[in-house]
Amino acid sequence: MPTPDPDDLKRLGERIDEAERKHSERKAAPPTSSLSIAFRFATELVAAVVVGCGLGWGIDWAFEHWASVQTRPWGMVVFVLLGAAAGILNVIRAAKEINAEMASKEK
Amino acid sequence: MAMNPMEQFEVKPLIAEPLFSIGGHPIYFTNQALFMCVVVVSAALFLTLTVSKGRLVPSRGQSMAEVSYEFVANMIRSTMGEDGLVFFPFILTLFMFVLFSNFFGLIPWTFTVTSQIAVTFALASVVILVMIVTGFMKHGLGFLMLFVPKAPWYLLILLVPIEIISFLTRPVSLSVRLFANMLAGHTLLAVFASFVILLGAAGGVLSVLSIAPLLLIVAIFALEMLVSFLQAYVFSILTCIYLNEALHLHDHH
Repeated sequence: MPTPDPDDLKRLGERIDEAERKHSERKAAPPTSSLSIAFRFATELVAAVVVGCGLGWGIDWAFEHWASVQTRPWGMVVFVLLGAAAGILNVIRAAKEINAEMASKEK
Repeated sequence: MAMNPMEQFEVKPLIAEPLFSIGGHPIYFTNQALFMCVVVVSAALFLTLTVSKGRLVPSRGQSMAEVSYEFVANMIRSTMGEDGLVFFPFILTLFMFVLFSNFFGLIPWTFTVTSQIAVTFALASVVILVMIVTGFMKHGLGFLMLFVPKAPWYLLILLVPIEIISFLTRPVSLSVRLFANMLAGHTLLAVFASFVILLGAAGGVLSVLSIAPLLLIVAIFALEMLVSFLQAYVFSILTCIYLNEALHLHDHH
């Protein structure tokens, strides 16, 4: 068996490193499709409004039930608006995340 | 012929007698429970049996298991960094459970576990609970700073409730997304399948036309395979993002 040339080994090592780097980069690239992005935005926006609506309704109910204070419908009015704001905040955050993801994919 | 595209999502008890009861509510062994068992057992068997030989040059099954393992590990590294790997078992379990439920649901006559909001909401609640517990363990009460963005104090009166609602939205959007995707896809498949049967039974030229929805089903099925994987991926990467926030507070601002 001939002794391996150290230069050869070094070059082989470099090639393996190169291949491994490419390999891991390819796997880390997330599969994003426009459909899933669209669906993500839609659920983020709608869910926040629904949660705000539920919270407002719950707060009105709690005030009426436990404190006998009639706040209806103001709790719901305020919290639906806050929910809509939260929904927009969610969408902006999701867009930022997706942008960062896309940028790291293109690199 | 009665064809109800929603019939496939009905939860029915498989054994007439309830197994036991909790607080007066009878607990039945349903088709839902059966397929959850099937999914858990098959995912566990897939991950253990395929790697049990531990070959240096992996067999087909072993390399599939290794790819899913590396996929999840890379996902955690890219979103949370190396210290996020403590959550690796949790996220791998979630990912494999959702992935296997979605794929099992595509086999005819099976039940899609993830098409039930009860299941997806339970999964999302576990994710949020893990996030809250991690946050308080790591940062103590400082975790509550998650709800306080950098802003002048008079804006905080408005921003803190918005941040709290935004946080409460997470389990809802996480669970609704998975559930709605699976529900919509399977309903679509059932509707087009009923078109094939209706056109085929109509006779004449219409019977020939029934090939069109049949071809569409093949295309939708391919799309559903993609959606199944994508939703499992989205569910677990959002889990990673949320847990990252609990680990490294305010890094995203």
